[in-house]
Amino acid sequence: MPSYIYIYIKIKEKKKKKKKSCVGDMAMRDLVTGGAACAVPGSSSSNNPVASLANNLLNSSSKTQDRIKELPGTTVTGGAPDFYSSTADPTTLLPGSEQDFYHDHHRPLPGSQFLDSFRSGDHHVGALPDAWNEIQHHPEVALQPHFAEFDRIYDNGAAIQPAFDGPPQRVLSSFLHSFVESSHAGIPFHPTMLPALGLSQGDKQCIRDRSSIMARHFFADKSEDFINSQVNALLHSLEIDNDFRAKGPVPGRFRELEEYWNESQGTLRPGGPHSADGWVAEYNQHAASRGNPEAWIHSFEQQHGANGWVSEFEQEQMQMTSIGQMRGANLPSSAAMEQTRMLAHTLAQNDDPKFQNSKFLQFVSKMSRGELIVDDNQVKSAGESAPGDWAQEYQQQYKEAPNSWADQFVRDELSHGTERWVNEFSAGREQHGMDDDQWVNEFSKLHVDDWVDEFGHQVGEGAFGESSSDNWATAYDEFLNEQAAAKQRSDSSRAVYVFSDVNPYVGHPNPLKEGQELFRRGLLSEAVLALEAEVLKNPDNSEGWRLLGITHAENDDDQQAIASMMRAQEADPTNLEVLLALGVSHTNELEQAAALKYLYGWLQHHQKYGTLAPPGQSDSLYYADVARLFNEAAQISPDDADVHIVLGVLYNLSREYDKAIASFQTALKLKPRDYSLWNKLGATQANSVQSAEAIVAYQQALDLKPNYVRAWANMGISYANQGLYEESIRYYVRALAMNPKADNAWSYLRLSLSCASRNDMLEACDSRNLDVLQKEFPL
Amino acid sequence: MATNSTLKSAALLDQMKLHLSTEAGKQLTKKIPLVYQFNIAPKKIGINEEIFTVDLKKGEVTQGPFEGKPDATFSLKDEDFVKVALGKMNPQFAFMRGAMKIKGSLSAAQKFTPDIFPKPSKM
Repeated sequence: MPSYIYIYIKIKEKKKKKKKSCVGDMAMRDLVTGGAACAVPGSSSSNNPVASLANNLLNSSSKTQDRIKELPGTTVTGGAPDFYSSTADPTTLLPGSEQDFYHDHHRPLPGSQFLDSFRSGDHHVGALPDAWNEIQHHPEVALQPHFAEFDRIYDNGAAIQPAFDGPPQRVLSSFLHSFVESSHAGIPFHPTMLPALGLSQGDKQCIRDRSSIMARHFFADKSEDFINSQVNALLHSLEIDNDFRAKGPVPGRFRELEEYWNESQGTLRPGGPHSADGWVAEYNQHAASRGNPEAWIHSFEQQHGANGWVSEFEQEQMQMTSIGQMRGANLPSSAAMEQTRMLAHTLAQNDDPKFQNSKFLQFVSKMSRGELIVDDNQVKSAGESAPGDWAQEYQQQYKEAPNSWADQFVRDELSHGTERWVNEFSAGREQHGMDDDQWVNEFSKLHVDDWVDEFGHQVGEGAFGESSSDNWATAYDEFLNEQAAAKQRSDSSRAVYVFSDVNPYVGHPNPLKEGQELFRRGLLSEAVLALEAEVLKNPDNSEGWRLLGITHAENDDDQQAIASMMRAQEADPTNLEVLLALGVSHTNELEQAAALKYLYGWLQHHQKYGTLAPPGQSDSLYYADVARLFNEAAQISPDDADVHIVLGVLYNLSREYDKAIASFQTALKLKPRDYSLWNKLGATQANSVQSAEAIVAYQQALDLKPNYVRAWANMGISYANQGLYEESIRYYVRALAMNPKADNAWSYLRLSLSCASRNDMLEACDSRNLDVLQKEFPL
Repeated sequence: MATNSTLKSAALLDQMKLHLSTEAGKQLTKKIPLVYQFNIAPKKIGINEEIFTVDLKKGEVTQGPFEGKPDATFSLKDEDFVKVALGKMNPQFAFMRGAMKIKGSLSAAQKFTPDIFPKPSKM
């Protein structure tokens, strides 16, 4: 059963439980039968051949029941065993496989469902194609998640490893579930006596490692001691020594733990995540983005569109189903073999390595080679007699009324715009060649608004307001935060200079001189190229990097400015201009600590004022101390414009704009032709909402340097902040015409366009079509 | 310092405070007479949050939670708040990604758009 659907149903089921006195099973069946509580068994499937087949098959639930009763973790069982014993009528048995038992047994909590999704997602290779098939055709053509069963049967029945036979695994699985549940309840987990499980060293290590990591996720709000005691209780029950350090290979048996681990690490395996893992990861992302029913559809559609085997698969599977339908009437085994051979062939064409190794495929191949035969609805090994317990196992699995989950699915999805996603699915299937990255992008574009709205409404109505959604959200947040942390690491190392792709100045005999000349003439973007050529040629040329940084700053690109200045500082750590420029750029980026560090560095390395700075530590700087030192410096030499400039920047940092303005004005008296100083004054005035004054200052800067992109962009900002959007657009466009790489200006332009109700120009903005924009908004 | 916070968002909110005293800011209070509360975390939502109230009814920005019920409360990281306020990240996208959590009226939250914030000028 596809875990997605399953979980969804579970959530609904929980709600229904509140209203109805029926036990969970009834509520579940409500979903299947369309809400007629306690409907007559079988009535929902009267016209369904597969269902009637299933009805015929459903007569041996008792075995499963017995096993369930043996399971540990009975603290939360409620009346589950009673309930099962009351379902003597096989047709009331609910769809799905053992997972249902587990859940009902354990009072499902969202967290364990979450985990289950990993496990079942991994096993049920065929489940989603089936779901699709259901929707597309009719419920009557029900195709069921045989694969999962096959897979498990094979797993259990191959009897290659005695340690693998069914029960211990199940015991372990449910035991792990009870551990997970205890975490949600926040209650201490008590050791339980378990039958001997025959775990290998590797298994034990795996469980130990994963459980302690999981526990830390679950109990993020609890103390370390509590976590340890939880884990110890778990490990003790499993007879795992918490200290021993077996270095055996990690077996892949404990799927739920492994998947959770992978997910929590945020590592979507690069290259080719195998289908099931892919689903799980995708599912996790999408479903966790607040239960949106469409999200996983997209993920599925793209995944399988890409693999392109769905359609063949479903055909073949129909044939497989027909095998099942002919219960009692022995299918001529040659025909069966022929069919399975076709199926095996089809499946073998899927080059996904995970799928290639799947037990289902092996199972089918064996059938096609006649090593296994289907006889009277029992799978038998042709070579060996005595199929043993796994055949019974299979029969049980098979009897779980496979059609009804499909009905549930149909019904549930109907309320969520089935039509639309079906259409989307078929559209998506036509794009078979898409690779993963593309479809991820695709997904991010798709109907985001729609469903955000929809979700918003649902939240508004409290539809998801229960603890279940909170848990989901929490789990998802965890995931996001981890991702964000990973991203932050890459962000901190982002001060990497990005060179232009094509550079005509590479090979130029003296690119530095050329760059200086271009800079002087105000051709900033050209100067950038020439200077890039210079620093490519002489990577240790501090002056080349410095001028490149200045050029980028004037070109309104602080990220690149910072990156270049960092290189300049590497080459020459004491260059005052570089330190000041870094201080300014970081101030612009609102990065206070970094800005303070460089401005303090300026003081430290200044010949005259260096003595003011106490030697040693510059790690823990306090703004007030630094400001005091600069004020002292300004008293020593009141005619040094540079000190006033740095002071002005510092006051910007502390948002004492009046003082900053005063400092810059003092500096301007000493350096009236410093255009960047005029811009600094203007920016400060603008930030303290003196927009009219700011525009005068910017104009001064532009008179001195007409191609000063930053000043043009600042003009735009000032107009926009005054609500003069039409004006601001003209200035942004002007700035962008000079430097189309000024990303800030592009996003501000977009905002101004919407605010000025010029949505007709948004497309030109998004496609960065400057010709159109310049024509529309001449300055 | 205007506010004793080292968050980037604090710098923007300080500007917002000034901005609300201008003509454009007053227009804003007429257009969106709502109270927003922002819980801004330096690194991770919910941890070491600093709380700011943007009261567009009165045209005030204050540090600390709103006394009463804000129309909408946003929880986000410093970094993401800056991205949203500067128009580099669509608030809906931030919400979808889980980068921004919202409590309160959703229709109020939808009026929270990047254009209500003044943009910082660069030196």
